[in-house]
Amino acid sequence: MQLRFETRRAKAADTRRQLMAASCALLGAAAARGEEARMAPADSGLLEDWSVDSALAYYHEDGRIQAIEPVVNIAKLFADGQALNFNVTFDSLTGSSPNGALTSRSAQTFASPSGKSSHAYTTAPGQLPVDPHYQDDRIAVAGTWALPLTRVDQLSVGAKLSDEHDFFSVTVDASIAHDFNEKNTTLSFGISEEFDSLQPIGGAPVAGSDYALFEKTGHKSKNGVGALLGVTQVVTRNWLFEFNLSVDRFKGYLNDPYKITSIIDSAGNTTGYEFESRPDQRTRKSAYWENRVALGRQISTGLALRYMRDDWGVRSDTAQLHLRWSFSNLDRYVEPTFRWYRQTAANFYTPFILSTETRNTPYEASDSRLGAFHALTYGLKYAQKLPGLGGREESELSLRVEYYQQTFDERTATPAALQGLDLYPGLKAVLVQVGWRF
Amino acid sequence: MAVLDHERQRDKVAGEASNAPDEALSVEARGENLLAICFTAMASPCEVLLPSTTAPAAALELGAVVAQEAWRVEKKFSRYRSDSVTAWIHENRGTAIEVDRETASLIDFACRCFELSGGLFDVTSGVLRYAWKFDGSDRIPEPAAVERLLPRVGFKKLQWRSPRLLLPDGMELDFGGIGKEYAVDRAYDSLAVRCSDPFLINFGGDLRANRPPPHGPWQVGIERPDTDRRATMILDLQHGALATSGDSRRFLLKDGVRYGHILDPRTGWPIPDSPRSVTVAASSCTEAGLLSTLALLQGARAREFLEEHGVRYWLLQ
Repeated sequence: MQLRFETRRAKAADTRRQLMAASCALLGAAAARGEEARMAPADSGLLEDWSVDSALAYYHEDGRIQAIEPVVNIAKLFADGQALNFNVTFDSLTGSSPNGALTSRSAQTFASPSGKSSHAYTTAPGQLPVDPHYQDDRIAVAGTWALPLTRVDQLSVGAKLSDEHDFFSVTVDASIAHDFNEKNTTLSFGISEEFDSLQPIGGAPVAGSDYALFEKTGHKSKNGVGALLGVTQVVTRNWLFEFNLSVDRFKGYLNDPYKITSIIDSAGNTTGYEFESRPDQRTRKSAYWENRVALGRQISTGLALRYMRDDWGVRSDTAQLHLRWSFSNLDRYVEPTFRWYRQTAANFYTPFILSTETRNTPYEASDSRLGAFHALTYGLKYAQKLPGLGGREESELSLRVEYYQQTFDERTATPAALQGLDLYPGLKAVLVQVGWRF
Repeated sequence: MAVLDHERQRDKVAGEASNAPDEALSVEARGENLLAICFTAMASPCEVLLPSTTAPAAALELGAVVAQEAWRVEKKFSRYRSDSVTAWIHENRGTAIEVDRETASLIDFACRCFELSGGLFDVTSGVLRYAWKFDGSDRIPEPAAVERLLPRVGFKKLQWRSPRLLLPDGMELDFGGIGKEYAVDRAYDSLAVRCSDPFLINFGGDLRANRPPPHGPWQVGIERPDTDRRATMILDLQHGALATSGDSRRFLLKDGVRYGHILDPRTGWPIPDSPRSVTVAASSCTEAGLLSTLALLQGARAREFLEEHGVRYWLLQ
């Protein structure tokens, strides 16, 4: 009898804890979110049941590429809890892109990849060689289908197609998520597979071949598989974190077909160029940890850390901090963001090939994206909530401005003749994005 | 010290007449040491108590913060307003809709309460009022009338995966049972970031205080729910929340059997021998309200339930 009483008492204490947890979840959710805005009554229309997130971005690199990118994301909900999500992105890039060759004291002339003489270009002494005819339009379409299996399990499958004039990519993915611990914890596991087909203008260069010999073959392909294991945890009523581990492996033609590397003699004169030559496999592993914390009703903040390493010797660290500060009536907010990024160079990265030196690896690439650099991004977003449309609760108009500054950490010894030239010009870029969510 | 007025503590179902909140604030002195900013929301008298040293203009401003939150919650979740989320959900019965995050968190909460109470706490049970009119008369409904309503009751019948909701035809959601306590906590949060002085928020008897005023604890009167409605108990409250459930004035009496207004959503009939009123102390008003409501739903086992759960309570049989 005593035992039975004790059991009941323990059970009651447990229920009390759960009731308290439920109350805290309700109030905590409110605190973390701040006051909810007005809700507009349903007004049937075309957009009912759809939520639309649209943005138009303008990206400008100082002296190089500029891009215009409209994005539309639409989500549709079905009666049984299934959900479909479509995303369409269009990119239009124009401008000048570094071709990988080294700045020199003499003028350098390059043929365009297509071999058309009208597209040949000459780089003045002391300038970084860039292909001034760079132009690329990309359209990408992605779709995700989420299907609840039980109250606590959800399956998602997705596909993505991306098309450019010289590149076509298909990705398929599937993931499963399981909620437990009063829905305070979500575990997810996902896999993906990507198939890419490259049809470079004029053919894909043979890796490491002489630029002047124009040794090219037809189209190439590569493919990748990836897996991700993630956990999302509500820690307290004001703190939530997400932790992911992911791994992916690519195989195939991993070169950038338009990048070349300068060959220089000991005096620093450019004697020729060769196409870059990367290994035909790359495995990347990364860990990502994101924390979101509400500090009172008007302020929330987030800190995200990412660590990545691959078997090419590239290791990168990213830290991003943002702070969202809502105005007292909560229909506007400003969000400053700061991001710090650092990466080490790939083992085979080299800004140039010295013709006098014996090479101990068949691989080489001067692509600055494989070099050592660090970058800082400063961003500011302003958003204004507006009355909703088509039965939606509210809409949001936002403006985001980001400034990106990249600095090379390259330490390769340079022949005396090249000293004084800016061999590793950094990159400065500005992004302006206007978003409308309704 | 202030004795809070529980005179007009009403059941959440009251107030069919007041569709538009009367948005007016008044400041009154409460004895020597306290100021009260009074307004009406959710068909209840509401007040914020502050030390009388607070400047009246500042007091009005703080009172307005609380009142705005009360009116906002009322406007958003009231069953009686055609522009509320509740009305919108009802208009879209049979269709999957996506609710906003605040509504989603309330439905999540209702879902947890339903699970933890074994189906006793059910936000879909409001339709039973079509059969039951607790007006003190002897008109108890036909069993068949109650039976006909039961298919329209049961949280399990709705499809809910936050934020997507499908409310089947004929069913209703009623946040009335949690709305007032929730509003107290939300108003408390809004005020706490703006006011470092001691304060007490009281929405029709559901209340929460941050800390005691300089002259001693808050004194809260609990009304004895019988014909002679005079405060019979004065509680000292330092901080935390109190919520009261129950109303002695809402019952039916037939053949000497008293049918209280607490209905069992599983049977559609009143829970026998439930206490007339239960007051519970907890750290948040939402939790206190949930515990007092769950206690009432236990009927004769109410006291035992409160004891088992180690709750501080005051029960009036």
